[in-house]
Amino acid sequence: MASAARPRANPAFYALIALLIFMSIGPVLLLLVNSLKLDVDITSGAGGLLFMPTIRNYETALCDILWYEPEHLRFCQIRFGGAFVNSIIIALVSTALTLVMGCMAAYALVRFRFMGRDSLSLSTLAVRMIPPAVLLVPVFGLWNNAFCLDNDYGLGAWWRDTFGGRGDVCLAGTHGGIILIYVAMNLPFVIWILQSFIVQVPRSLEEAARVDGAGPFQTFFIVVLPLIKPGLAAASIFTFRIAWNEYLLASALADRDTMTVPILIVNNASEFDGLGTIFATGMLLAIPPILFTLFASRQIITGMTAGAVKG
Amino acid sequence: MPSIQLQRLVKRYGGLEVLHGIDLDMAENEFTVLVGPSGCGKSTTLRMLAGLESVSDGDIVVDGRSIAHLDPKDRDIAMVFQDYALYPHMNVARNMSFSLRLKKRPRDEIDRKVRATAEMLGLTPYLDRKPGELSGGQRQRVAMGRALCRDAGIFLFDEPLSNLDAKLRGQMRAELAMMRQSVRKNMVYVTHDQIEAMTLADRIVVMNGGHIQQQGTPSELFRRPVNRFVAGFLGSPPMNFLEAELVDDGGLHARGAGFSLRLPEDIVTRARKLGGGRATLGIRPSDLEYAPEAAPDRALDLRVIVSEYIGAQSVLICDCGGTRVTVEIKSETPIALGETLRFAARPEGLHLFDPETERAI
Repeated sequence: MASAARPRANPAFYALIALLIFMSIGPVLLLLVNSLKLDVDITSGAGGLLFMPTIRNYETALCDILWYEPEHLRFCQIRFGGAFVNSIIIALVSTALTLVMGCMAAYALVRFRFMGRDSLSLSTLAVRMIPPAVLLVPVFGLWNNAFCLDNDYGLGAWWRDTFGGRGDVCLAGTHGGIILIYVAMNLPFVIWILQSFIVQVPRSLEEAARVDGAGPFQTFFIVVLPLIKPGLAAASIFTFRIAWNEYLLASALADRDTMTVPILIVNNASEFDGLGTIFATGMLLAIPPILFTLFASRQIITGMTAGAVKG
Repeated sequence: MPSIQLQRLVKRYGGLEVLHGIDLDMAENEFTVLVGPSGCGKSTTLRMLAGLESVSDGDIVVDGRSIAHLDPKDRDIAMVFQDYALYPHMNVARNMSFSLRLKKRPRDEIDRKVRATAEMLGLTPYLDRKPGELSGGQRQRVAMGRALCRDAGIFLFDEPLSNLDAKLRGQMRAELAMMRQSVRKNMVYVTHDQIEAMTLADRIVVMNGGHIQQQGTPSELFRRPVNRFVAGFLGSPPMNFLEAELVDDGGLHARGAGFSLRLPEDIVTRARKLGGGRATLGIRPSDLEYAPEAAPDRALDLRVIVSEYIGAQSVLICDCGGTRVTVEIKSETPIALGETLRFAARPEGLHLFDPETERAI
């Protein structure tokens, strides 16, 4: 009611909003428009919106995973498509694993009483204080030497017979190896964020569920989890973006087949021929986090527990 | 419809013992009210019965079977929580059917039960709403409905009305009493409100400091409190206590600052055993009656300080030799503030308590 009584906002206010919208959407729009142009059109300086849209740049960028051979390419130089798929797999799987483990760990830290609970809760956060660069050398060493399966017998032999390869099977150079370190890196923060959401779920709700006949897991999944959905969404945006953008650790751990997009762009910066392809890869790089954030942020609604208990 | 026995039930938190061996027998279909001031252990007792608190010592026996170490879900109980504890992400119908759905009952059976319960509680128009869209009273009903929907043997109520405003509380209390007549189940009800306790209970259990003080029917407890705590806790306004000395002056008298009351025969025989000495005299405000012509050894002379008009009745706060005494009288009685008036004490309304042990004499 109060807003209806408020006088109409100043036109300058709308101008400011329009400016802000332009500032945030403009670059993405520019990226989109240019990615649909031929190099001649981009460099002609006309900068106008009058051009013939083409998907040729996208064909160039994704040439290694297309089911047909684009006419304008003699051979596929950049393996962007494969890296793009790797990035999506690694980001999604590490986000999912982090959330599953994080919500359970956070729940246990908030609700269960056990020895060393407080110090454990504190030390999860202390792990965050270590910069990833410090992890680089030990992780590289461990992933390449300690976490390996001898390829002469056992699982290692089976792996070699099934998937081929020469040396021992190591964690480095696998999707699993990169996912593992991303999960380890993001877990403390996710646990920390989710703890504050779980604390807000009234304890009597869980007691009611237990009396109503729910086991501990049913209580967690049917009653607690839906109520911390906003927390899960916020945490997932955070972890997805980190996994999507991470360069340092991935550059050390990834090999040719498991390379993620940031690594590919740095490694092959000189091989991109033409601005159009760069714009197209930029666009492709921006789309997944945008979609993911749009989807996840819709889950962030306040007042999830309204009406549960008397304030 | 089972009988419940609590056998020497003890609860400790670390080294702190909060329940000191509760012994309680609840008969089939009985409505038992646990009442006491906050921190007396009544809620803890209820939560131990529900399985939400572990039993430190002693046993809980339902129909001859010990349930003290069962999970809450295996105890066949339904509970209404003080703060409602509704699942905010489910609508009313799903809240009420939660337990039945967990038990994987057939859909039409669940539907039938939810509709019947909603009908009984007047919730039919709200079945599709979420708890956040309901008023306090409606939420309370949903919480009640969730418990009623399942065929539990025992119903537990943990101060279910304490979050409602006074008018709604009275209304819900009456509805509870009505529901009580149609649902013949064992119910255990915790409250700190002695009016709720008196109006609803078949049996009242007054607790204080982790002990049961007294149990019995409401009228037993009201008329024959076993100690000063029970006497002072039940009844509104509360009982007056006056320090007195027992003197034999042609019949046993209780004599204190500003009064000397002759004690009735049945108290005398019991008080004789004590042989003289000090005692605390208890008189309920409703047992004092304005009587200007009463004999001095049957009455108190009180100076009226404040008169609280509450309609048909008025409560007078008076002074009797330095002690506050409240009196309940009909409002039409002519009273002027500051006057000293004579109030006769009903002989059957006199209670004597040992000042040391606080037990009734």
